[in-house]
Amino acid sequence: MSGRPIIASTQGFERDVTRWILRGYTVLAFTFLLLPIAIIVLMSFSNQRYMGFPPPGWTLHWYEAVREQPRWLTATINSFCIGIPTALLAIVFGTLAALGIARGDVRFRKFLLLLMMAPMMLPHVIIAIGLYPTLVDMRLQDSYIAVIIGHTVIGVPLVFITVTASLRSYPASLDLAARTLGAGTWQAFRRVTLPMIWVGIVSGGLLAFATSFDELMLALFLTSPGTETLPRLIWDQLSFALSPTLAAVATLILVLSVLLQGFAVYLGARRSALKRAQP
Amino acid sequence: MSDVKGFAELRFDGVAKRYGEIVALHPTHLVIQPGEFFALLGPSGSGKTTLLGMAAGFVSPTEGRILVNGQDITRMPPERRNIGMVFQNYSLFPFLTVAANVAFPLEMRKHPKAEIVPRVRQMLAMVRLEHLADRLPAELSGGQQQRVALARAAVYNPSVLLMDEPLGALDKNLREEMQDEIKRFHAQFGATVIYVTHDQHEAAFMADRIAILNHGRIEQAGPQSELYERPNNAFVAGFLGEANLLHVTAYAAGEAGSRSVATQEGLRLVVSGTVQTGRMVCIRPANITLSPAPLSYANTFAGKVVDLVHAADSIRYRVQLNDQCQISVRVTSRRADARFEKGQEVYAQWEPEDVLLMEN
Repeated sequence: MSGRPIIASTQGFERDVTRWILRGYTVLAFTFLLLPIAIIVLMSFSNQRYMGFPPPGWTLHWYEAVREQPRWLTATINSFCIGIPTALLAIVFGTLAALGIARGDVRFRKFLLLLMMAPMMLPHVIIAIGLYPTLVDMRLQDSYIAVIIGHTVIGVPLVFITVTASLRSYPASLDLAARTLGAGTWQAFRRVTLPMIWVGIVSGGLLAFATSFDELMLALFLTSPGTETLPRLIWDQLSFALSPTLAAVATLILVLSVLLQGFAVYLGARRSALKRAQP
Repeated sequence: MSDVKGFAELRFDGVAKRYGEIVALHPTHLVIQPGEFFALLGPSGSGKTTLLGMAAGFVSPTEGRILVNGQDITRMPPERRNIGMVFQNYSLFPFLTVAANVAFPLEMRKHPKAEIVPRVRQMLAMVRLEHLADRLPAELSGGQQQRVALARAAVYNPSVLLMDEPLGALDKNLREEMQDEIKRFHAQFGATVIYVTHDQHEAAFMADRIAILNHGRIEQAGPQSELYERPNNAFVAGFLGEANLLHVTAYAAGEAGSRSVATQEGLRLVVSGTVQTGRMVCIRPANITLSPAPLSYANTFAGKVVDLVHAADSIRYRVQLNDQCQISVRVTSRRADARFEKGQEVYAQWEPEDVLLMEN
């Protein structure tokens, strides 16, 4: 294919100017988005005692500091202990809701859809204020359960959205076909629906995990020193001192997020390959 | 596993479906004979898909019963009905090979593997796709995918085979080829088939009997020739074939058994039976003879050709009989004396038997 546009009405000069403006805009947008990340990574190797830019010299000292401080490891483990159950619960509730609303014989479908999305629109602080007294009443405020409940509330809509999208990507007659061919409801789900939507389930679960891993507001209300998560510890440390240790922690979290993202993109590519394979 | 066996009689006993105030299907009675190829024909929204969905178990009727060989299956879930269904969009499982798709219903029925493999091969041979057994559905053409769907729906000898516009997504040539294929398959296999379509030619070509549906009701059911020659009403007359419809304003029975009607369009027609005032009569365009001079038909009208259109196998004339009445005439003869020009004076004529009298 030659690079010539199909509509050649604009003059060559005008076209070049438009192209350069677009390129400049794209570069600016990416710089704006990625520069803070680049700066935090560079600062984590800084040999200054406080976060400053540009760093005068380089060291791995702050990574050492993270390793030596057991609170970071505990907080990381806490984050996983909260993130993984949150993702699993969000998968169960989100998938069931998506199946019910997309395929079930339900009334007020639009209203239910809106209700499922509501936790996404609501500020987390409102959810936290609502949950806090209830969970204190139930004497759960010092356990993992409190924050897992909180994070599941915001994780369910994410799974709901990705699974609903998977369900809409293929005709419902596929599930019905399985039924006419002799599969009961559970068999039809396991043998036909699940293979069609598992990518949506897994990517929704990853999103729910990442959101939980990243979440501060609910963690502030619903965790105690024993169950504090990484974002909460970062927050505590920030108000204490701007040490490059935080930059080192941030860089480690970044690496983890990039790995998760890469996995999600890989799954997405597999899904679109499968979609192309459909009639 | 399956509770229904053998080729079956399927009986709809007063089934109806309402969604709140909306009636998708009025109470309907219909009996389909064992081994019969039965077509449900009608425009979209006429209730034919609702009726099919009830047979499959996707739609539960708000009243009435569905019986297979006398057994009530109204409340039975789809997987226990032992029916086969072919969908318009094929609905093959995209992640399974052709052979695995056809094996699926046998696996659901817990047949031993040693039985499944030869049975699948035999079925694929029947639709002439043995050589594609290991392909994925996406690697097949539309016609091939539909043949796999047919094999999959029939591999377990279902008592009734349901087909929901199975050829709707195919282009014309392939559709005609598949019509032959399905007919051949039915002749070889012998199952009771319900075939939903909105294509009257397809229904006429394939089915033993046709039910014409409109607005959630069966307007008329019977063999194609009966529906064409003795339509019950204007909708059936117009839906199956072409029709010149005239409104009856008066009916008279004269001496010596002669009967005639006057129509709102200002014609007086000699007819062969009785019809009530307010009803309609239909004259098929193909049953009207045109000639330059009057011949000896009981109904002869002078007119003028106002328009003509050449079709592949015929010429369609519009003939003005008077100020209020234009009729269509289809002439299949290519003889020179059967050719007329625009503006030419002609005589349109037909026998009393060609005037179809409708009850409502």
